[in-house]
Amino acid sequence: MHESTQAGAAAPTPATSGATGPSQSSGGGRPPWRSAFRSRQVAGWLFLTPAVAYLLFAFLLPIIYNLMLSFEHTSPATIAKFAAPFAGLANYRYIFHDPTTQMAIIHTFEFTFGSLFFQFIIGFALALLFGTEFPGRTVGRALVIVPWLLPLFVTGVMFKFLFQFEGGAVNQILMAVGLAHHPIDWLNSPHLALWTVLIANIWLGVPFFTVLLYSAIQDVPTEVTEAARIDGAGPWQRLLLVIVPIILPVIEIVLLLGFVFTVKVFDLVIGLTGGGPANSSQLITTWSYNLSFQQFNFGQGAALNNVLLVLALICSPLYLWLSRDSLQGSSGGER
Amino acid sequence: MTRRQWSGAMRLLRALAAAAALVVVLFPVYAIIVGSFESTETLFSGTFYWLPHAATLENYRTVLHAQSGNVLTSLFVGLGTALLALAVAVPAAYALSKYRLRVTVVIVSSLLVAQIVPSIVLATSLFIIFHWIHLVNTFPGLIIADGTYAIPFAVLVLRAFFFSLPNELMDAARVDGASEWTTFRRIVIPLARSAVITVAVFAFLNGWGDFIFALTILNGTGILPITLGIYTYLGNYSTDWGAVMAASAFALVPAGIMLVVAQRYIASGLTAGSVKG
Repeated sequence: MHESTQAGAAAPTPATSGATGPSQSSGGGRPPWRSAFRSRQVAGWLFLTPAVAYLLFAFLLPIIYNLMLSFEHTSPATIAKFAAPFAGLANYRYIFHDPTTQMAIIHTFEFTFGSLFFQFIIGFALALLFGTEFPGRTVGRALVIVPWLLPLFVTGVMFKFLFQFEGGAVNQILMAVGLAHHPIDWLNSPHLALWTVLIANIWLGVPFFTVLLYSAIQDVPTEVTEAARIDGAGPWQRLLLVIVPIILPVIEIVLLLGFVFTVKVFDLVIGLTGGGPANSSQLITTWSYNLSFQQFNFGQGAALNNVLLVLALICSPLYLWLSRDSLQGSSGGER
Repeated sequence: MTRRQWSGAMRLLRALAAAAALVVVLFPVYAIIVGSFESTETLFSGTFYWLPHAATLENYRTVLHAQSGNVLTSLFVGLGTALLALAVAVPAAYALSKYRLRVTVVIVSSLLVAQIVPSIVLATSLFIIFHWIHLVNTFPGLIIADGTYAIPFAVLVLRAFFFSLPNELMDAARVDGASEWTTFRRIVIPLARSAVITVAVFAFLNGWGDFIFALTILNGTGILPITLGIYTYLGNYSTDWGAVMAASAFALVPAGIMLVVAQRYIASGLTAGSVKG
């Protein structure tokens, strides 16, 4: 736009900060309201500049470069150069025929939908529970978010400790209550390793669902639930026919965000199983890391990254649509 | 049973259900803390003790000796991430909420999508890009990468907050002759203090707890955050569990402090960033 000339003089910059004061003289021959509008536009742009620069450098550039990389024949030697030989679709052909990659993709789906299912049910139940009256609910609500605040990698390590074959608390509890007669070798069994990752992820994801669903349920007007009660609706009817429809937009957004946060889980797996044993808990993210940073096939890693990116970005139109109210709007007053 | 007794029994039942849930939520953290006080012999004895068995500070001594530099590194990375996030996000959120700019929809949409982008996608490319511009294995490189978690979230949370500030406040400052920058610095930022704290807390935790960028953008020599320090303890066949537990306990400290000190900011910030953003 017209960021130079007269309007630019009125625009405050960090360098001229406090001393600028009123600078209406710079409007030239234009009506003062117009110049004020212009200078405000410029100020708005200046406030926005660091964020735009950051988005371009830290998001757009890597995404574009990742796309380029996926069509290149890379080797440790090409990393230092700007471009490697063109590879066509070779990287994509490789990853789609590679059994480990196929397994990682399937695991990612199992892991993601398994997590979402249990996180949602448990999170919703806790949200309802904390919405009722009982002694200690404030403290309980504060503590229930603990898993959310922990570094993901440390959570992985923590569960690795709990799932130890010998001396692991999980085996000890299972044996104490009679659910297992012998200790289970969770982390060394190709059939169970993915389950440990799933269980750990459910544990750490429940608070997200609880907090968001709790605040949505609190926002349901009590008159509505009261009216349903007076009309003879039982607790289940009130929940399914009154509360759920009202908080549906939040449910949608929570499931959607839950999905995108879960497909990109990485730290947890590395801390807990490292993708093993025998790649049995390898997800797209961890296998992509393995391809790029351990086998130095950055091109293949980038191709797999794009599969993941597509999987995550599939949700973005829906996410934008669900957030449509917050996209525009520049008013004050309402929340 | 009278109605009053019935409702009292229900309250008790709910309290018990909540207590059971909290046991599950808190037990893993408790187990780490217990484990961090156990001797190596106890940890490898094949039994998990519910209370510290022959408690020792040996693990903490080991970790303080080996990891205190790494704790400082993580502290520095966390603070750097928080500062970067604030420098970028506070002005941007203000512009996106209080100025009628044509690009608002585009930028807010980009931020929403940016939250979705998986870190491994960024890490792979950033590693090579940073290689060219010599940011691999540097603090600035790591902090810029860690900002990718914090910044989109920060802008969206702050923006939701700025909407709640009445426009009249800014208008009054302008009528009094304050420039846009002065209005922002003297009126808006002080009013936004609680939202700014929320965002800073989360950005700090992101930088402190980051693992994936530390693993990819650092090469394991020189700069070593606490998460990578723990990673090096995890051997394939033998793990020094005592040291791992003590170092993990250290890694949990900021979250614990935040939970106590900034508790009231946390839940509201999480909600605002996800739903109202």
